[in-house]
Amino acid sequence: MALNDRVFGVLMLVLAVAYGWGATQFPEPFGGAESVGPETFPTVLAVVLALTSLYLIVKPDPDNAWPSGSLWLELIIAVVVLIAYTLLLQPLGFVIATTLAVGTLCWRMGAAVLRAYLTGLVAGVVVFLLFTYALDLPLPWGLLGVLETS
Amino acid sequence: METLNYLIDGFGVALQPHNLMFALLGAFLGTLIGALPGLGPANGVAILIPLAFTLGLQPDTALIMLTAVYAGAMYGGRISSILLNIPGDEPAMMTCLDGYPMAQKGKAAEALAISAVASFIGSLIATIGLILLAPLLARFALTFGAAEYFALFVLAFATLGGITGKNPIKTIMAAAIGLMIATVGIDNTGTQRYTFGVLELYEGIDFIIAIVGLFAISELLFFIEERAGGGKPAMVVNKLKLSWRDIVAMLPTSFRGGVLGFIAGVLPGAGASLGSFISYTLEKKILGKKGYFGEGDPRGVAAPEAGNNGASSGALVPMLTLGVPGSGTTAVLLALLISLNITPGPLMFTQNADIVWGVIAALLIGNFLLLLLNIPLVGIFVKLLSVPPMYLLPIVTMVAFVGIYSISNSAFDLYFMVAFGVGGYFLRKLEIPLVPIILGLLLGPEMEKNLRHALDIADGDWTVLWSSGLAIGLWSVAIVGLILPYLVGPILRQRMKGKSGVGD
Repeated sequence: MALNDRVFGVLMLVLAVAYGWGATQFPEPFGGAESVGPETFPTVLAVVLALTSLYLIVKPDPDNAWPSGSLWLELIIAVVVLIAYTLLLQPLGFVIATTLAVGTLCWRMGAAVLRAYLTGLVAGVVVFLLFTYALDLPLPWGLLGVLETS
Repeated sequence: METLNYLIDGFGVALQPHNLMFALLGAFLGTLIGALPGLGPANGVAILIPLAFTLGLQPDTALIMLTAVYAGAMYGGRISSILLNIPGDEPAMMTCLDGYPMAQKGKAAEALAISAVASFIGSLIATIGLILLAPLLARFALTFGAAEYFALFVLAFATLGGITGKNPIKTIMAAAIGLMIATVGIDNTGTQRYTFGVLELYEGIDFIIAIVGLFAISELLFFIEERAGGGKPAMVVNKLKLSWRDIVAMLPTSFRGGVLGFIAGVLPGAGASLGSFISYTLEKKILGKKGYFGEGDPRGVAAPEAGNNGASSGALVPMLTLGVPGSGTTAVLLALLISLNITPGPLMFTQNADIVWGVIAALLIGNFLLLLLNIPLVGIFVKLLSVPPMYLLPIVTMVAFVGIYSISNSAFDLYFMVAFGVGGYFLRKLEIPLVPIILGLLLGPEMEKNLRHALDIADGDWTVLWSSGLAIGLWSVAIVGLILPYLVGPILRQRMKGKSGVGD
């Protein structure tokens, strides 16, 4: 089966049409229409993408294997960790957020729990000190803000 | 003679103490990046770009450091090829053939030393080639008009997949996607395009965020999927026993490899992989039965290493003179140039002569530094190689986060980076190449500008794009570049695969 390329081809075809339609909706630039407006280049791109998508739908390559169920879970965990890291970077502060994020990633990739979070902590502290003091680029203190003044 | 004067000025820039220091740091980091599995040169340079920014480095210093990283990464790729039989990047594949057998025979130190010397010679030859060729090409490129530039950009995309590329249609598709992303934002007529009223999109999508996301985050996901976190046990490196005579015996091989590599690097569509492949194959042909290739012949280590380092310096020629990179890593270097507000291309040789020649001089100096670093410090690199990816990749990801965060202190950029990473994972699964996307992001604005100029002058007549002889020539090469992979690609890939046996 060669479903992947077909599905991707259809998605990209939809994108090409939407993008091409979007180009026709641009307001006319001030000073009237010229031979080349803001829509010219996008229109060319939409046509190129549409043609190549059609080719993929007609002549797809053989599929690559997708990960199995539990691996999907691992991948989703990794992405969730990255999003949570971004979310918590400000409120928790760099060191705590990094310990949690790097630790969880190491652990899920196969490291022992304690060593994983220890790696996260050490990496977080080293990078924090390096950035804040050596490079003069402040990273968020977060919950550890009490230490800042002392 | 003019060139020589410029070069001397260049040395003046490159030899300033702080530039020299950053070159050394870059060379060290580069070797590390090249050596560590799962951290290819393009990926590594991409992660370091935001850091170079936030450090507030001068343009010349930033460029010198990252050029040194680039050169170092090419040196480092061989370490994991020889010791682990895992090529650090694609061009290092051929080095596995004789390097790993040498290591198994207990000659790892010799293999590493020989390949360091061969890399040095390959780079040196190619850098001299660069010095001679680049000014000529830049002068020639000054005759290009807007239509020729547009054709040149098309050529760059068409040949990016390389002769060994798999599916040229996917390359074009990737290029279109990249160019489309580049159109987001306010264009130069003041029209908002595809911003959907989101304030953060008005200025367009920062390509550095896209590059780091596509490379670094997708790499992490791939490692998780392959459950490759444990890594492989490292080889023990023996004590070095290498005489001058052994090194001298390698010189002809290294020399041939360097020249071939340089040519492969300059030509569009060939690239470093082909450079190392051709050098290895030729060496085998020349020596014939006198060699024992595939079983640990030192010349089988020297030839591909000289070839791939020659090619990587050669690849800087089109990047510096035309502003059109031929490989993923040079594309990332181009990203650096653009973000430093330096317009790449022929004018750079006159407008920013100090920077260009400073970089070229830094490349020469970097080479010597790398040779000095690589022979005595090889033990440190070998130690670091044994750090398993399960610790390494999360830390690398964190460094990527810090880099992006420190540019703008905005969480929005980080979400974008993660989104690009997830997108990159799916694209890689579908074998849509990422490099054309990045090149599209980088070249999009310039490409559109040139199209607009060409058409405005001709009053909307599209035939202007292929009206000059030069433009027709460029279009023809582009078309050949797209068709050739169909014809020779399968054969070449088969031969490379058959020889290396590494396959993936």
